[in-house]
Amino acid sequence: MAYQETAEGHHEHHHVNYMAIFIALCVCTAISVVFDVIQLDRRLIAVLVLAVAVAKAQFVMRYFMHLKFEGAWKYVLLLPTAILACGLPLALAPDIGLHYYRPDVPQVREAERLQLTGGAAHGGETEHEEAEHHNGEAH
Amino acid sequence: MSHHDSPTPSLKMGLPIPNSKLGMWLFLGTEIMFFTAFIGTYIVLYFGSPGWPTDTHVTHISIIAGGVNTFVLIASSYMVVVAHEAMALRNFDKAYKALLVTFACACLFLGIKSYEYYGKFSHNILPGQIAETDEQAIEKVVRESEAVSNEWLNDLVPGDGSQERIHLKQIAARNVEGAQGELDQVTKQLGEMEGGSAERRAEMQQRQSILQAITSNKTEVENWVALDTAVTKLRDDVSANRLTMAQTTERLETLQTDERFASHMAAVHHPHPILYGNLFASTYFLMTGFHAVHVIVGMILFAMVLAQGSNLNEQWTDWVENSGLYWHFVDLVWIFLFPLIYIIPGFDRGMPGH
Repeated sequence: MAYQETAEGHHEHHHVNYMAIFIALCVCTAISVVFDVIQLDRRLIAVLVLAVAVAKAQFVMRYFMHLKFEGAWKYVLLLPTAILACGLPLALAPDIGLHYYRPDVPQVREAERLQLTGGAAHGGETEHEEAEHHNGEAH
Repeated sequence: MSHHDSPTPSLKMGLPIPNSKLGMWLFLGTEIMFFTAFIGTYIVLYFGSPGWPTDTHVTHISIIAGGVNTFVLIASSYMVVVAHEAMALRNFDKAYKALLVTFACACLFLGIKSYEYYGKFSHNILPGQIAETDEQAIEKVVRESEAVSNEWLNDLVPGDGSQERIHLKQIAARNVEGAQGELDQVTKQLGEMEGGSAERRAEMQQRQSILQAITSNKTEVENWVALDTAVTKLRDDVSANRLTMAQTTERLETLQTDERFASHMAAVHHPHPILYGNLFASTYFLMTGFHAVHVIVGMILFAMVLAQGSNLNEQWTDWVENSGLYWHFVDLVWIFLFPLIYIIPGFDRGMPGH
C-alpha cells in the first residue's frame, strides 16, 4: 500500500504489489545481462539495454517513489530540472560528440596509426590475454 | 461577522504534501541535474572518442559484480518500501528489520564496489596514470622501474629519499667493492678531525652511515647494482628510441624473472596502452565515486533510524519516507550506470582491431 497525504491531511491508500515490482526489476536486470551475452547487433544491444534501464526507472519512480499516485505538482517540480539537466550534455555534444572536423589529439592519431598498420586497438583481446598472463586474474 | 462564524473554508497554501517531503523532492531535483551532467557527459565523450576502451577485460570491469550490485540495490529499495509501509501501519518492529536489511545491502554494495576499485588500483587503471600510446607505455615502464630501483636503495641505505640523497646513495652503492676501504678512510678522518666546521662533520657522518649500510648489506647492494645497471641501460635505449613495445616487454620480463630482484620488479606494470583510458578512468571514478558517496549518506540516514532501536515510533514515519525517496533515487542512478559502464562498453563501433 502507498500512503499519500491529501490536501486535507488524510492518507489515501493505494494498493501496490511491491513484490511484483521487485521481481520485475530483477527480471529486467537479468535481461540486461542476457543482452550482453547473446549475439545480436551491438548497436541494437545498446538501444535495448538502455530501453530496459528506462523501464526499470519507470518501475522505481512510479511505484517505489509513488509518483504514480502524486498530484500534478510532480510535473511542476521535476520537468524544469529534467529539462535543465540536459543543458550540459547538449552544450558539449556539438564540440565533443558531433564535430565535423578531425580532432588533432594524440588518441585520434594513435587510433589512425593502428588502423593503418592493422594492429589491434589498445584494449583489444590480444592485449587482454597478455595482461591476464602477466598480471594474474582480472578484478 | 467574526472570523469564526465565516462559512468560507480557510485557504490552505502550498502543495498537498508535507514540507519535509517537498524539501526532499526539491533536493532530488538538484540531484537529477547533478547526475545527468555526469552521465550525459560520459555518453557524449563515449560517442565522441573513436577508440574508447571497449573491452571490459582491459578496463577491468566485471559485469557479474555490476549485476550483483544492481540486484543488491534493487533488493534494498524493495526493503525500504516494506519499511515505509510497516511504519504507516505502525508495525515498527517489521520496519526496523526491513531497514536493517537495507543497511546490510548497502554495506554489501560498498564491499563489492571496493573490490572493483581494488582491481582498478592494482592494475593502475587510474586517472592520469594510464599510458595511451606505445611511447607513453614504454616510458611508463622505465619510470616505474626507476622508481622501484630508488625505493629499494632507500630501504637498503638509511636517510631521506630526496633527489640529492638518492644521488649520493647511488654513487656510493655503485662502488660497492670499494665501500669498505672508503668507510675505513672516512672513519679515520672523522677520528682525526678536531674542530672544523659542524657542517663538514655532519657531512662526513652522513657519508659514514651510508657506507656502513652498504658494507653491512653487501649482497643486497650488489643485487641492487645489477638492477640499477639494467634500468640505466633500459633508460638509455628508450631515450635513443631503440626499443619497440615488444622489446620493452621482453626486457621487463627478463628483469621480473631474475631472482635477484624479481620481488621488487613485480610492482612494475606491463606496457598496455589504453586509448582514452585516462578519460575513461576519470569518468568512471567520478560517477561511481559520487554514487558511492550517496550510498554512504543513505546509510547514515538509515543508521539514525536504526539507532532508535525499540524506541522507533510514528514520529519517524516521514523520516523513513523521505530517506526512502532518497534511497530510490540512488537506486535510479545505478540503474543507468549499470548498462552504461558495465554493458555498453562491449559495444563495437567498428574501431580498428575490433
